[in-house]
Amino acid sequence: MNNIALGRYLPLDSIVHKMDPRYKLVAMLVLMVAIFFPSGYIGYAIIGSFVLFSLLLAKLNIKMILRAMKPMLFMLVFLTFVNTLVLRTGYVLIDLFGFKVYSDAIFQTLYITIRLLLMIMVTTILTASTKPLDLTLAIEDLFSPLKRFGFPAHEIAMMISIALRFIPTLIDETNRIMKAQASRGVDLKEGTFKEKIMAILSLIVPLFVSSFQRAEELADAMEARGYIPSAKRTRYKQLKHTMKDWVMMFCVICVLGSVIWISL
Amino acid sequence: MPIAFEKVNYIYAPKTPFQYEALKCIDLAIELNKITAIIGPTGSGKSTLVQHLNALLVPTDGTVYILDRELSSNQKNKDLKSLRQRVGLVFQFPEYQLFEETILKDVMFGPLNFKMTEEDARQKSMTALTMVGLDESFYERSPLDISGGQKRRVAIAGILAINPDVLVLDEPTAGLDPQGAKSMMELFVELNRKYKKTILIVTHDMDHVLNYCDNVVVMKKGEVITHQQVNDFFFKGDTVKEIEMALPQRLRVVESLREKGFKLDSKISNLKDLANAIKKEISHE
Ligand SMILES: Nc1ncnc2c1ncn2[C@@H]1O[C@H](COP(=O)(O)OP(=O)(O)OP(=O)(O)O)[C@@H](O)[C@H]1O
Ligand SMILES: [Mg+2]
Repeated sequence: MNNIALGRYLPLDSIVHKMDPRYKLVAMLVLMVAIFFPSGYIGYAIIGSFVLFSLLLAKLNIKMILRAMKPMLFMLVFLTFVNTLVLRTGYVLIDLFGFKVYSDAIFQTLYITIRLLLMIMVTTILTASTKPLDLTLAIEDLFSPLKRFGFPAHEIAMMISIALRFIPTLIDETNRIMKAQASRGVDLKEGTFKEKIMAILSLIVPLFVSSFQRAEELADAMEARGYIPSAKRTRYKQLKHTMKDWVMMFCVICVLGSVIWISL
Repeated sequence: MPIAFEKVNYIYAPKTPFQYEALKCIDLAIELNKITAIIGPTGSGKSTLVQHLNALLVPTDGTVYILDRELSSNQKNKDLKSLRQRVGLVFQFPEYQLFEETILKDVMFGPLNFKMTEEDARQKSMTALTMVGLDESFYERSPLDISGGQKRRVAIAGILAINPDVLVLDEPTAGLDPQGAKSMMELFVELNRKYKKTILIVTHDMDHVLNYCDNVVVMKKGEVITHQQVNDFFFKGDTVKEIEMALPQRLRVVESLREKGFKLDSKISNLKDLANAIKKEISHE
């Protein structure tokens, strides 16, 4: 359970951590758009250097990102395999006993790999440098203009933040129940099919029971404190933008601009 | 075969920013066939320590010897199931592990996992339920809609029914009513005296330590700071004062009587001696 590095907030002290989450969220979207432009290697070099720079600024470790890429390794290998079989354009790069591997196959694969890597890096920077709750505040703020048309921005943000809040709790709970059942002889690795089904049941049922119970308790606690979703409320935490947010926004837009310009 | 910790370190989430060293160089030998209490403030690593006993956690460094097994991180720890059959662990808040349709089935779950026959498992489970004070009327009820204290009893019965040689209980009496807690502790004493089970109890209740346990291990910030016989711990030396935990009621009574001018020996260990001493003091006046 410890290898869920992807998408986890890392409490570090960096300039990126202190930026306004709204700006970070928008910047991420802009960068995503930029990544999807077919701007070739020059474009990716520009985006890549910007992203790497932000990674350094956020004091994040590139090793961590690579570790997060690991589950995708299989997919990439498969992609390489299919590409070498299917793509038969460009010049011959390797001649393996009459089986020709073409340059386009390799470049195409490389291209997709870089694209994936960039996307993961961008999202990781956002989630690692922004507390989940700040992120939902940002979502709420960004959607609040839609409130006028009856869009439940606050409710959705509240739902997301409660869901996010309980992910670590659920992981802890799962770990604990797994250990408790292991003490009662549950073995998820060995055993017959029927035993395995029982093992999974012994994990899922308590998890559901406690989740429902927790949800009910939370709802009661919120109601007891007078929570009404539609009520007008003030916020303890005010999102503030400063110079650095504008600078970042400017840089991101420059990146997008140059990528568009290259791909024209 | 003994139960021993040798230079055991345990780190949660190693090599991440969340790394936390929960056990630091623990050297500890637990006596067999005795009741050992493990006490210490919240977060001192008691639960982490006891989870090593049935290999739910394996030391990051060092070795745990338990019964005829040896557990350390630099070897494949295989066949943990047979170890878990002999070392039963009841978790802190075990009421969250119940899942079967009926209480009897839930208690039988452990024994069946350890390949007891259906009949044997049923027999053992009924005995275990009786021991924890739940009668036949509970057998067919759902374990999900009984009270918290009753759930706790069912969970404890679920481990007792496995009939382990070593019984480890993480705060088994937290949240039980005083009478229930007392009978639970008396059950453990009986299991120890009658069936020679080795029992480890994590607890915050110093009265339980004084009244029911043979040895006591005190933990603080991931380290074992003392390991003594209960009588030595309370009545010899001053370790008990140094650890900043509430004294058992009996000792508090002696303390306050002394403050009020009674000439009592603060190291009176036995209730009868205490009563006699008080009587003597009163008749003097
Ligand atoms: N799964 C985990 N991941 C990371 N840290 C943990 C985990 N479980 C416990 N810890 C940390 O290890 C330390 C010891 O925890 P442990 O549960 O062993 O304490 P304890 O002595 O049993 O406390 P209590 O009396 O409250 O039950 C605590 O500081 C806790 O924050
Ligand atoms: Mg604990």
